Amino acid sequence: MVFKKMALAVTFSPNVRALLSEVKRLQKIFNSELVLIHAGEQTIETEKELDELIETTGLNRAKCKTVWQKGDAAKVILSVCAQENVDLLVAGAMARESFLKYYIGSVARTIMRESKCSVLLLPNPTTESKAHKKFCVSIDFSSLSEIAAKKAYEFAKLENADEMIFIREFQLPALAITIYDSGSTEEAGKKRLNWYKEEEEKMELFIREMNFAGINLKKVCLYGKQGWETGNYIRENHGDIFVTSSPVKKLKFFNRIFQHDLEFVFRELPCQLLIIKSEEEKS
Amino acid sequence: MSLSTKEITIFFLSISAMLLFARGFGELLRKFKQPLVIGEIIAGIILGPTVLGSLFPNLFTSLFQSFPNISIALQGITVLAVTMLMLVSGLEVDLTLAIRQGKAASLISLMGIIFPFVVGFFAAYLFPETFGITNSKMRLVFSLFVGTALSITALPVVARTLMDLNIFKTEIGLLIIASAMFNDLIGWIIFSVILATIGSRAGDFDFGTPTGGLVLSLGIFVVLTLFIGRKIINYILPILERKITYPGGVLNFVLILGFLGAALTEHLGIHAIFGAFIVGITIGDSVHLKEEAREILQQFVTNIFAPLFFVSIGLRVNFIQNFDLQIVLIFLVLAFVGKVIGCGIGAYWGGMNKEDSLAIGFGMNSRGAMEIVLGILAFQSGLIQEKVFVAIVIMALVTSISSAPMMSFFLKRSKKKLTFIELLKPENIFLAKSNSKEEVIKELCEHLALKIKMNPQKIFSEVWKREQQISTGLANHLAIPHARMNIQHPAVAVAIHRIGIDFDSLDGLPAKIIVLLITQVNEPELQLKILADISKKFGSLEWVKKMLEAKDGEELISKLKQLS
Repeated sequence: MVFKKMALAVTFSPNVRALLSEVKRLQKIFNSELVLIHAGEQTIETEKELDELIETTGLNRAKCKTVWQKGDAAKVILSVCAQENVDLLVAGAMARESFLKYYIGSVARTIMRESKCSVLLLPNPTTESKAHKKFCVSIDFSSLSEIAAKKAYEFAKLENADEMIFIREFQLPALAITIYDSGSTEEAGKKRLNWYKEEEEKMELFIREMNFAGINLKKVCLYGKQGWETGNYIRENHGDIFVTSSPVKKLKFFNRIFQHDLEFVFRELPCQLLIIKSEEEKS
Repeated sequence: MSLSTKEITIFFLSISAMLLFARGFGELLRKFKQPLVIGEIIAGIILGPTVLGSLFPNLFTSLFQSFPNISIALQGITVLAVTMLMLVSGLEVDLTLAIRQGKAASLISLMGIIFPFVVGFFAAYLFPETFGITNSKMRLVFSLFVGTALSITALPVVARTLMDLNIFKTEIGLLIIASAMFNDLIGWIIFSVILATIGSRAGDFDFGTPTGGLVLSLGIFVVLTLFIGRKIINYILPILERKITYPGGVLNFVLILGFLGAALTEHLGIHAIFGAFIVGITIGDSVHLKEEAREILQQFVTNIFAPLFFVSIGLRVNFIQNFDLQIVLIFLVLAFVGKVIGCGIGAYWGGMNKEDSLAIGFGMNSRGAMEIVLGILAFQSGLIQEKVFVAIVIMALVTSISSAPMMSFFLKRSKKKLTFIELLKPENIFLAKSNSKEEVIKELCEHLALKIKMNPQKIFSEVWKREQQISTGLANHLAIPHARMNIQHPAVAVAIHRIGIDFDSLDGLPAKIIVLLITQVNEPELQLKILADISKKFGSLEWVKKMLEAKDGEELISKLKQLS
């Protein structure tokens, strides 16, 4: 089972119906339990409203639980996920946050950075939720990215996806400075080409080791600033979902100032984003 | 006032001579795998008072000293050159790399600054006479300068050395680059503070008074440029790329900003080059600055302006007259002790083994161009005299030359064997007796288990589990059964089968070279790297046939080494 227990952060915003529809579809394909979390006061009105939403969306009530808790939204959502032993948290998110909100941290961005379980962010949810056809998976050859690739594959199989694109991004800082000594760009270019080949070869072996079958696999190596190039590639190639492992170190405010890796993706989501956490991390 | 025809003629002749000698000696030094900058310095020493001035004083004087206007013009060019050199050096400083590399990089760069700084500061402060310092007023600032001079690492030389040693794209390579970048930034900030404490650049010292205000201006400049300036540049660059000619317009934009930064810091009382360096970091950090633009800038600056600057160093001082063995030796000892021990300790605390820590220490020890820039600024400001300047230049050269061989020496002794050849031992190569896939894997596991003191059954069960997922039989008679296990170091064993075993290979050929590879469970990338390395080594059928002709393990290894 890809994910046994999902949670959805519910707010009574205009896209709540769309989010519930997306979750309903995912719950069906994962055959998982669902926890609806609302960080706010439980009143007769809000309870009734949510009840109606569940009804109209057609969620399976037997496998759906609702938790109401007052407090800071991000903190409530994360603590309920931990208590309920959720392994996938779903939330709506703006594709691009305003300048100030990005630095201060919106609820969705805080969840992305701090969640202990896997997170799926839906920037443009729709009521006619469609299956993901193009999966993009970030690979850095770490144990965590192996886990992310496996989860992505299982997910893609359930979705009957058309294609899985494995993306390896790399950059060698200070390479241009070596031109000083060679006096030409040829050597740096040649080295870069060799490194490309090396990375492609490792990708080939990585995919072979994973033994993924029954799906169209594609491998892409990109040279450039990590996180940034991947985001652009996914946008240009119209990826439906981007799967990545969570960063090893917790992302803090400093990382927003000196952006790198996932922070570039967080700044502007290229499509739906699935951040995979390992089981050890969760515990 | 304008230059006469004669002055213009001599001006161009002197510039041509500088570029000609710089290129000639630079290329010569490159033949010996030495940084270009060393050749350029030597060119300056030959063209300057040390050699040309002694042998052909008239020629030297008429080329470089006959007209005050030419001297001023050359001085203008060298100021421009060093400012541009610092601007392009800054472009390559990626601050996020140090953040991404984490604890080890921070420890290496911090220890690489603190330790040499403390060593240098106290050596100069406690024994000022040894360095020729008699003016007690100069003691503190001079000691601060010696500390800073010892804590500088030259990123360009470091990058070049790593490229030559082919370790640019390795864990150690990236660690050294990240640490050198961070080190550069901190080193230049400290040096700017020291320069700021000298009230007048003309040698009329007025210690201390302007320091507070200048340090505050310096801090505001760094914070504003690095934090807010970065965001603005990141916003403007893509617009420029769309609206104006590329790459010309972008290159101009970089230079204009660099010069504005230089003008601002010079006006504030901090040296111009510092402004250019910080602006360089700011622009270089932008995701919108294309690699192509960086490379063109590097080409433009380092092939025209950098040689002029480095040759001009030798034109200023007579290296023989001002050579003081005692000062030179002191600087050399302090430089090696400070950097190698400082960075070495940092790397060791960061989790590296002893050999790798020493390799990192020597890698970070190359001072190269940056040290010379620092030395010339201190010399021009009157902070140091000729003898100390000469010692600093020699120290910069020796540390740069010794960096690659010393790193290579320790890397060879490192326990971290990362390539197939490094892992392969003659005693782990044998002729297989078995005739089936399962049996030959068992044979390999038993052989390797004996050498690495592990349970053979345990190895076999992991390898066989992996083998059953998908066959490890590749092309060209090669098979690489492998697994990841709880071990300290990767290990390989090779079985040669003269007839060949069916391994369900990609090209249908029977496997004659069967390589068993065991790597650490938590290092998937290392496994892929070694697997790629092995399949590359046996990449052609012709090579494999040659390998199979080897009489024993030693001959096989030597044949494999010939391929790399």
